[in-house]
Amino acid sequence: MTDKTTGLFSDYIAGRISRRELMTRAGKLGLGAAAIGTMLGGAQTRAMAANFDWQKEKGKAIKLLLNKHPYTNSLLMQIENFKALTGLAVTWDIFPEDVYFDKVTTALSSKSTGYDAFMTGAYQTWQYGPAGWLVDLNEFIKDPAATSPDWNVGDILPGLLHSDAWSGVPGEPLGGPNAKQWALPWGFELNSIAYNKRMFDQAKIEPPKNLPDLIEKAVKVQTDVKGIYGVGVRGSRSWATIHPGYLSGLTSYGGADFTVENGKLKSAVNSPQCKAFTKLWVDMIQKAGPKNWTNYTWYEVGSDLGAGTSAMIFDADILGFFQQSGDTKEKGNIGFEGFAANPDKKEPTPNVWIWSLAINAASNNKSAAWLFLQWAAATQQCLFAATKADLVDPVRQSVWDDKGFQTRLNDKFAGYLEQYKASAPGSKIYFTPQPLFFNLTTDWAASLQKMYAKEVGVDEGLDQLAENVMKQLTDAGIAQ
Amino acid sequence: MNGKSVLRAVALTLIGLFFLFPLFWVVLMSFMTNADILRNPPSPFFSPTFHNYVALVSGQLVTTVGTQKIDYMLNLFNSTVLSAFSVILSLILGVPAAYAFARYKFRLGEDMAFTLLSFRFAPPLLVLLPLLLYFQSIGLYDTYIGLIWVYQLITLPLVLWIVRGYFEDVSEDIELAYRLDGHSWLSTFFRISIPLARPGIAAAALLSFIFAWNNFIFALILGSSSVQPVTVGALAFVTASGIEYGQIAAALVFSIVPTLVLAMFTQRYLVEGLSLGAIKG
Amino acid sequence: MSTSGVAGVNARPVPRRHGARMAGVLPYLLSMPALLACVGILIPFINAVYYSLQRYNLAFPTTRKFIWFGNYVSLLSDAGFWHTILVSMTYTILTVGLELLLGLGIAMLLWRRTLVTNLLSVALILPLMVAPAIASLMWKLMTNANFGILSYFVSLLGFHDFKWASAPQTAMFTVVLVDMWVYTPFITILLLAGLRGLPRQPFEAAELDGVPATFVFFRIMLPMLFPYILTAGLFRMLDSIQQFDIIYAMTQGGPGDTLMVFQIQAYTQAFIFTNIGRASAILVILWAITYALSNVFVKNWLRLRERARGRA
Repeated sequence: MTDKTTGLFSDYIAGRISRRELMTRAGKLGLGAAAIGTMLGGAQTRAMAANFDWQKEKGKAIKLLLNKHPYTNSLLMQIENFKALTGLAVTWDIFPEDVYFDKVTTALSSKSTGYDAFMTGAYQTWQYGPAGWLVDLNEFIKDPAATSPDWNVGDILPGLLHSDAWSGVPGEPLGGPNAKQWALPWGFELNSIAYNKRMFDQAKIEPPKNLPDLIEKAVKVQTDVKGIYGVGVRGSRSWATIHPGYLSGLTSYGGADFTVENGKLKSAVNSPQCKAFTKLWVDMIQKAGPKNWTNYTWYEVGSDLGAGTSAMIFDADILGFFQQSGDTKEKGNIGFEGFAANPDKKEPTPNVWIWSLAINAASNNKSAAWLFLQWAAATQQCLFAATKADLVDPVRQSVWDDKGFQTRLNDKFAGYLEQYKASAPGSKIYFTPQPLFFNLTTDWAASLQKMYAKEVGVDEGLDQLAENVMKQLTDAGIAQ
Repeated sequence: MNGKSVLRAVALTLIGLFFLFPLFWVVLMSFMTNADILRNPPSPFFSPTFHNYVALVSGQLVTTVGTQKIDYMLNLFNSTVLSAFSVILSLILGVPAAYAFARYKFRLGEDMAFTLLSFRFAPPLLVLLPLLLYFQSIGLYDTYIGLIWVYQLITLPLVLWIVRGYFEDVSEDIELAYRLDGHSWLSTFFRISIPLARPGIAAAALLSFIFAWNNFIFALILGSSSVQPVTVGALAFVTASGIEYGQIAAALVFSIVPTLVLAMFTQRYLVEGLSLGAIKG
Repeated sequence: MSTSGVAGVNARPVPRRHGARMAGVLPYLLSMPALLACVGILIPFINAVYYSLQRYNLAFPTTRKFIWFGNYVSLLSDAGFWHTILVSMTYTILTVGLELLLGLGIAMLLWRRTLVTNLLSVALILPLMVAPAIASLMWKLMTNANFGILSYFVSLLGFHDFKWASAPQTAMFTVVLVDMWVYTPFITILLLAGLRGLPRQPFEAAELDGVPATFVFFRIMLPMLFPYILTAGLFRMLDSIQQFDIIYAMTQGGPGDTLMVFQIQAYTQAFIFTNIGRASAILVILWAITYALSNVFVKNWLRLRERARGRA
């Protein structure tokens, strides 16, 4: 890179020139858009190096365990900058999601030193943290020698940071006084409706307002538009089926996974509210869901929306975002809408999924791994990844406030920002933290599959599930 | 008479179709673009493309979300390495042992032979689960050596039982004559016994290779990305916004071609191999 | 060791003492590596039994302790486990039964050696050589509800929206079909070899005497073929009851609990729920079943081998 270009990017970062000016002048110097993007990232990384010694762990090597996900792509796009910044050698393994968490569980539980840092969700830390497999990141965040003063932990949306912290005691809330910071938020998702505007126009319908309305409209659109099905939701026999649309809708109807009585957990999956909601949910899938719903992961749900096989999805907002941004058939046709399932409620209550980064407690390179976490969640990196790649929803307030990011959203993703603003106030993790998260949600998904196939009635299925849940909790010694 | 022939012909055709159609269709799909595959109703008329194979070989998966690397060629390499070395190791361990079992009746031998045979039928996870826990502590997890060692569970019993049968058929007289001519036991073994049992050794080697190649659960549990063979690697073909079915089909074709080709060579020995020598082809 | 006439009168005498000592040590020397392999397998096996007697969950390291038969009692009183037994038995009976029937039928069709049957015999080897996990993926692609070629054919026959492996009612059917595709050739090949090895006289005599075909089939052929059928059947049974690859690649045990056979259940317990104790107990129970079955198998197989040896 020449001095002219270097100077140009530094000016931009220092705020001396606007983005538009940067693009124009860089273009005049013969740089294409992609090159500008990469160099901008590099410049931002160099700027970060100003106040903090990123080269502390120079010469070491770290290995990452990553999920097959657009976030991973955004990370790898800039990984060379990280290597240059820190002098670390970085290698990684990527697995598709249906085996990803098995790999993580295996790696952590065996206390293997193979992987230093990895992607995880908040829920998984409820199992990994209390088992002693994760490093409490507070020891790094609160240590001025370990964390750059520019890093600004306060910029990370507090709700998200707290959701990744838990004391490990069932019954105690997330982010409470004794909570350990098991992971660092990196990107998150709310659950709302993403729909195909073209199909909705053809069927002359507006985005649905609540669940009964959704069922009606989904049936209408699949009748009016040939060769599609109405609404896509996940259905595979896994925890991933419960946390997006299902739990968001359930919360709206006043249901929950557990109630806490005297510090003890009691299963609430068979409450009247849960039964009422689940009946509607199963009905929706039977009437307007995908044909092999029981195999559907988020890959399939998103892919169908993008390919024009489904009219809408009630799943992660970012899923619709990916379909709109990628090279899909329905690109440009996707609309976004916040969604409150309960007709009696106005505000959406989306459950939140937070992709986070964590450090293996058995790692031999914890400080080096922390450098990686810091870099990945730093403002510059988040801003770059949100504007140039697909790391949405960004976890930092400053990124949401950034004009460039807002422009990008309003230009190409009409309705997304509105959907976010409508959904954000009611968004949090509505699961009750407990270490048997995987077991219980997997059984819950299996139960939904049985109800869908009419093997068992909804009431009976949920009663059985509640009984099964209590038994498992008792066996593990964490229930009454 | 005629009715019966017609019935026979119909039956044979149906059988041929049932067993061969899936193979044919998968090969067809591997030459289709994703758009062609997703077309409903499916049509056998399409313009073929090598795009899927190119993507696999070059290691680049161009999807709607960007370009991702695929390591399928690495998987093929892993399958080859794991299967070949497992077979070689089994031959080294198994052929002498098979000779011993064939020639000498010693009680420990019968016990060992039976144990190895019975473990061929034991649930693999029973052995894999504790092995996984050890391997991680001694650093053999996700290594070639670790897996080749464990693959002996598949290949060694096969080698032992097939080759033993062949050694039992080799006349002892020839060996004795050679020995009486003054040659040592070792040279008798290498110059006479092994060449005479060569068909059996070849059969055992080819069959073991095929079974090792087709194995799934061992590599799933004791291996990770660096040693993943094609059977496990074929599961990994999903992307964030667009599942590339054409590439899955091409990957499947790649993974079955080696064994199908080898099978052509093993036809003669298949019956004996599959029945562990109980039935002579 | 026999001393035949080959030795002859002019042969040099074999050094007797050296030979005798060699004969003693040699077998053990030769089979030492194989013995190590044996030991190498027995150790994890014993370990698995050991784990099955403990409450051992990787996520709760502080609660690890000996509970003797606690896991077994818990399993045997768990409806979910009995469901696993039921599903595994169903799968085994269906696959073995159907494969034996179909395999026998095909073997009889291929008995007569013509160009067609020879070609078919070769072609039939191919499905057997495909890895079961890969075969399952192939069928998964073909039965995809949206674009699968088989879904299309079946809809032409009037079954719209046939759910293949996505619905509990048809999931078992689908995986049994895949299993049949892969393994029927195995049975066919064995039975065909058995058929071709049968003596011709009884059949020729029966034809001359005008004995009805059903009698020939049931009273002459089947009894003679029985040892082969038993061998093939037991072989398949031992594999089917521990089926993992096909079901894992297709649905990982779903939908619901429809295809939760032994090894899938054990895998789920061990790798998703990190409950090593319980998983080991399931595997030990499965092993006990296969051990009993394999004893029966080996006895029969040895008898068959002797017969093959005798005839050869």
